[in-house]
Amino acid sequence: MLRSVTKLWGASRKFQIGVTILFVLIVFALIHPWIADLVGHGQDPMAIGAYQAWEVPNTDHWLGTDRYGRDLFVMTATGLEASLEVAAVAGLLSTVIGVVVAFVAGYKGGTIDGFLNTTTDMFLVVPSFPLLLTLSAYVRSVSLFDVSLMLAVFSWPFAARTIRAHVLSLRSRPYVELARVTNLSDFEIIFQELMPNLLPYIGVGFASAALGAIFALVGLEVIGLGPASVIDLGLMINWAITWGVLSLGAWPLFVAPIVVLSLLFMAVNLINIGLEEVYNPRLRQTAGA
Amino acid sequence: MAQIAAQPASSVAVAPRVRLRQWLTAHPFLAYAARRVGLYLLTLWGAFTVTFFFFRLIPGDPIEAFITSLQQNYVYNVSAGNAVVDHYKQVFGLQGNLFQQYVHYMYQVFVTHNLGPALLDFPEPSQVIIMRALPWTIGLLGFAGIISFVIGLLLGALVGWRRSAHSSEWLTNIALAFSHVPYYFVALMLIFLLAYRLDWFPASAAYDPSISPGLTPAFLITVVQHAALPAISIVVIGVCNWLISTRMLIVTTLGEDYLTFADAKGLNPRHVLTQYALRNCYLPQVTAFGISLGFIFNGNVLVEQLFNYPGIGNLFVQAIGILDYDTIQGIVALAIFGVLTANLVIDLILPMLDPRVKYWR
Repeated sequence: MLRSVTKLWGASRKFQIGVTILFVLIVFALIHPWIADLVGHGQDPMAIGAYQAWEVPNTDHWLGTDRYGRDLFVMTATGLEASLEVAAVAGLLSTVIGVVVAFVAGYKGGTIDGFLNTTTDMFLVVPSFPLLLTLSAYVRSVSLFDVSLMLAVFSWPFAARTIRAHVLSLRSRPYVELARVTNLSDFEIIFQELMPNLLPYIGVGFASAALGAIFALVGLEVIGLGPASVIDLGLMINWAITWGVLSLGAWPLFVAPIVVLSLLFMAVNLINIGLEEVYNPRLRQTAGA
Repeated sequence: MAQIAAQPASSVAVAPRVRLRQWLTAHPFLAYAARRVGLYLLTLWGAFTVTFFFFRLIPGDPIEAFITSLQQNYVYNVSAGNAVVDHYKQVFGLQGNLFQQYVHYMYQVFVTHNLGPALLDFPEPSQVIIMRALPWTIGLLGFAGIISFVIGLLLGALVGWRRSAHSSEWLTNIALAFSHVPYYFVALMLIFLLAYRLDWFPASAAYDPSISPGLTPAFLITVVQHAALPAISIVVIGVCNWLISTRMLIVTTLGEDYLTFADAKGLNPRHVLTQYALRNCYLPQVTAFGISLGFIFNGNVLVEQLFNYPGIGNLFVQAIGILDYDTIQGIVALAIFGVLTANLVIDLILPMLDPRVKYWR
């Protein structure tokens, strides 16, 4: 396991860069309490009226302050943590649903496959973002977990699709046939023979679902329909729009979340491409730089 | 057929079916088309049904909400009561149980082609206000989509063709980095820099209200001016995506024998690129482009919202704001219809575009 990770690390520069950026961002999000301590010297730098409002970036406040005098650097770190949480929960849930559906459909085949496949197709066609908008408009006060759940419900079909295709192609390989002949149970075959070969694809599925979740959550918040009680990066962008920051020229309030989120998108995207390059040799010469 | 031939006794009853089957084997494309259209109708019905129940199962009665809002504004005489509520329940198709409502809605949509009255603009049926918003969305997203497809395809072909050049590597990496950045990030930056800082473009609306709409040059100019920023924000990201996918396709064709042969014949490299290499990318790229055009009917909620552009996406957000069932459902139905129809058209056209494509056996 460890050896395959080190092999992966050495194989693709894109993967290295992506992992590095992602790692830095995660650390930045996780240490936000310490950043808050450092900036606030023991006081809460995100309390309303902690500092002067609309300070421009300076040595005390690297990104300045917002309308209520809250420190934007600390706010970015805190917001990033919330966004990452949603990404992790939604990504995990949707991967689990997707993987279960894909394995059952691909491995069992027949009527079950037909039924699950049609269901997947229908979910793929239904425009998820409008439905998500409607749902969050009806359910006024949603928690971060609710949002992750909603996002997961709409993002599993993509992973299910690709993984099912791979299960189908693996199912008839000689070594799987052999396992079946030696009387291994379906569970054993799925977990011991099929799953290890599909881990990279499951990883890619997780990453895309996590990205999609952040993307959709920020989208909800830009319109003003997100979970209101939690400060995350999308909410910062929403404030930037509703407070007229664009015409005031207080750029850090929206540039900071956009840059952080773009870096995050970039990092996950690079990791995806790196994984695909390594595990899909046909792509190695084509996408490789 | 051997089965049927073995049972001569029932051959009279089965005869038309046999003839149909023979005819279908003689016309494989039509058989394929019939099956494909059947599947299309089935999926369309399924998706409509799912969304219908999805919206009805969400708690909250739009009529109740509307009446409460009227009461709060002292418009509504409470004693007028039930008769009024019943009347409006009938008008909005909310009478009876869920199944009756479903039948009513399906009848309304498929038989009388009516989506029901819109709360947003009450007596008007919602298809009218959707149709009012649709041209703006199709204009904006259609143009932006076509422009980004053409630029992305050409750039991708060039970058793939000269993939060892430094400039191509850089362009590819930049495109990779930007391809997953959401449109609205670019839109926000553009509004800030080009609209507020430099004041080159207007930041919102679809045209200057002081100019009366019509097919005059002045009106067309203001429409283009107002569409420029949202369109650019879509094109920037779109080009990156098309560039990457086209490059991938081009690079895989590079080693093919027919390209070496074309080179050996002494053909102009540009001719080899456009007529030999690029042609092989058309099939997957046109498919993807068609599907992306189908998604236009979704509207681009966020970009339209940021620029206050009067398209479908904006209408959708307004409809959600006041829980306008009929309009919301109408827009979602339109979006589903768009995507499915695009898929259908592509599946039917592809075998004609490329003789190697065969779905039927």
